[in-house]
Amino acid sequence: MASRFFSGLVTVALLAVAVVAFPQQGEETIGLGEVGRGSLLAATETPGRYIAVPLQSTEVEITVKGLVVEAVVEQTFENRSNEWLEGVYVFPLPQGAAVHAMKLVVGNRVIEGQVQEREAARKVYQQAKTEGKKASLVEQERPNIFTTSVANIGPGEAIAVRIAYQEILEYDSGRFLLRFPMVVGPRYIPGKPVETESEGMGWAFDTDKVPDASRITPPVLHPDNGKINPVKLTVSLDAGMPLERLICPSHPAQISADEGGLRRIRLEGAFADRDFVLEWVPARGREPRAAVFTEELDGVYYVLAMVMPPADEFVETVRLPRETVFVIDTSGSMGGASILQARQALLLALEQLRPEDFFNIIEFDSNFTELWPESRPAMPAAVAEAKMWVERLDANGGTEMMGPLLAALSDRFEHTPLRQVIFITDGCVGNEDALFGAINAELGRSRLFTIGIGSAPNSHFMERAATFGRGSFTHIGTPSEVSLRMGELFAKLENPVLADIELVWPDPDADTWPNRVPDLYSGEPVVVTARLGTLHGDLEASGVRAHQAWRTGVKLSVGKDSAGINRLWARRKIAALMDDRARGVAETEVREKVLEVALEHHLVSKYTSLVAVDVTPTRPEDAELKSGAVPTNLPAGWQHDKVFGHLPKGATPGRVHLLTALLALALAVALRGLRTVV
Amino acid sequence: MRRRLASALSLLLLAVGGVQGGRGAWIYAKAELAQILLRRSWADTRAGRERVRPWPWADAWPVARIILPDGDHIVLGGASGRNLAFAPGHLDGTAPPGGSGTCVVAGHRDTHFSVLEDLVEGDRVLLEDASGTVTTYRVTATAVVDENETGVLAESAEPTLVLITCWPFDAVIPGGPQRYVVWAEHVETLKRSNVERQRPPSRSWSRVGSSWRYFVR
Repeated sequence: MASRFFSGLVTVALLAVAVVAFPQQGEETIGLGEVGRGSLLAATETPGRYIAVPLQSTEVEITVKGLVVEAVVEQTFENRSNEWLEGVYVFPLPQGAAVHAMKLVVGNRVIEGQVQEREAARKVYQQAKTEGKKASLVEQERPNIFTTSVANIGPGEAIAVRIAYQEILEYDSGRFLLRFPMVVGPRYIPGKPVETESEGMGWAFDTDKVPDASRITPPVLHPDNGKINPVKLTVSLDAGMPLERLICPSHPAQISADEGGLRRIRLEGAFADRDFVLEWVPARGREPRAAVFTEELDGVYYVLAMVMPPADEFVETVRLPRETVFVIDTSGSMGGASILQARQALLLALEQLRPEDFFNIIEFDSNFTELWPESRPAMPAAVAEAKMWVERLDANGGTEMMGPLLAALSDRFEHTPLRQVIFITDGCVGNEDALFGAINAELGRSRLFTIGIGSAPNSHFMERAATFGRGSFTHIGTPSEVSLRMGELFAKLENPVLADIELVWPDPDADTWPNRVPDLYSGEPVVVTARLGTLHGDLEASGVRAHQAWRTGVKLSVGKDSAGINRLWARRKIAALMDDRARGVAETEVREKVLEVALEHHLVSKYTSLVAVDVTPTRPEDAELKSGAVPTNLPAGWQHDKVFGHLPKGATPGRVHLLTALLALALAVALRGLRTVV
Repeated sequence: MRRRLASALSLLLLAVGGVQGGRGAWIYAKAELAQILLRRSWADTRAGRERVRPWPWADAWPVARIILPDGDHIVLGGASGRNLAFAPGHLDGTAPPGGSGTCVVAGHRDTHFSVLEDLVEGDRVLLEDASGTVTTYRVTATAVVDENETGVLAESAEPTLVLITCWPFDAVIPGGPQRYVVWAEHVETLKRSNVERQRPPSRSWSRVGSSWRYFVR
């Protein structure tokens, strides 16, 4: 049998859990009697044979200063088996993370990782691996999915990999949002498997539509076996303003305040099965109107600027009739809590429609179904019919997103001045780039708004789809958030509050990213990064707001000095360059430009990786190295059966019926016999 | 008094025995009878009609005919519990019968798929699709797996047939967590024209007027 397959969940020894994983070909396996206590084992194709996998734990330290987030993620790989192991761990980071440093920590020694072109880095790592040297490699699979590989972890040893990244804090609708994802939700992989051997260790084969599927689908531990991958997390928060409220909706974190307005958030005893979310709201009247952070590096200046347009209240808007197409994901990954939230959100949105609007709903899993062949006026009867239809939606099957997306974007008739597509999903697909390309090509006059659902959504997809769709992204993590977040979205749906935004820098040659600022919706600030020759002067922002010109200036020289603004600028530039692929620019051209930026600013990207090698070989030449994919948890609230299914049942109760019949008849006969005797 | 109690009890036991016996017999009768009706709709399907429901209230239709060493069965689209009571079911979302990739067919271990227990490496299993194309598969492996091991459903590059039923075969109580899986690899595909020439005489029930007749063609 050529095909590799999941081979069982068995509990072994004390701590030990056997997990589903694919062994490398030609790998030597061990039996249960041969392993040490507390090993993590992965089953192989051969029943009863297992390979050992290192245990993984994570410690995260996040520092927030104003708009800049700095984080250090330390992943420890512990080998409790008697073998020499290589651990491969697929994990998420925030989609805007500028990963700039990696350290390999072996006992007291710390080896600094270097950024290299991806293939070169892999070669360095492979060579160290075969030579018996300890080495680590951090690669980017998606802007929010990374892989750490650690080679030559000796029996009983623990090796740590320390990854550092920076990102820009999210500020929307008067609320700051810090999101740290912890688990890669199982992604749906469309397409046909390719003939070649899959490169990664994941549960999916590489396919024609997702050529790296096996690299982004880490093995998933069945929830029956408990949780793995413990996480310890601390946040030091210097908000820079008095706060109205600070909450952690995702976890029972401890929040304490130091003197000087510094706050400390601690999380212990958590397992990597959902996004960590921290939110804070500035005290009323203390909301930031503008913020500038600057850095000087080799004679040039890097700037991160945030400008908040004035609040809505004073603007009179005329509500324009619209055609709204709702698209709701009813695939298996939406099973459980997610589908309830999605339905609830959709029902709320239906109530916002007015009789002059037109609307339709599309639900999709492996196939898609439209409520009606074409949009209908939102008269009470139609809305009632739609609500009944929505109430019946259940989650099952695959996530074939392309069909429903194209159907929703096809603008068959111009009923209304506005056309909006509202896409409700967890975004757990592997073919993001193809979908971005389709949105970019087919958008027309439609605007696409994404609503991310669940404990661990694919935020990269949500954010970029909304960017290409010239709409906005809303995230709903828990049922209690539905009405609040949907309220914010309804405000955004009314109209862009600021259009035709232009920025003028004191340096005419300023290199600005994003290079075109998109229209802003209610509650959204202008956030921009730039590289320029001087800080003398103002950044002038202008735009059109409710048919009136709006203009504001921000003095750059008063900006706070902050390290690493260059990385944020470079990360944004890379994101924009990567987006060009969806706009038809050849990958080779994009790659060249990204390489230049990533190597100069020491960043991990699709084309660059961080690699660190310890010089002294430690693994004896006669000892063999075994590779294991570190498994991940199923995201909280997900249902294993809905995603991976289970094999159909194959027996009838026929025998039970016949057997009870026989028993009853025998007893009856016995009783009769008894009676004649008596 | 005691006599009366005993006779009431034995009556009750007789009744229970009758009902349970009837229910059990009905399950097996249903599996057999449904196949008769399904053969009719399969003939229509082969004649070019689509989605031929075997009985008016059915929510599934035949998608293939599977030929196992002990006889053939019509396969319904979808492997829901309801379908499997009548026929083996083709698992939705897996490759179509004879198509490239992994085609999965599930059946009950105590009715249509009882023969799976006896399949050994090298045995032939044939699948006929709606166009009349017959694909021959050769059994390559069998295994007992947990119901969560959905990796057996994974796509493969080569055309593969996977048969699934419950395990152990002789268990009385249904609904256990273990499954018996048979893998078979593609051997050859015969298009309709070639098949017609080689086809052995087929036997089936057909309706003549108001009665059923068994025909050998």
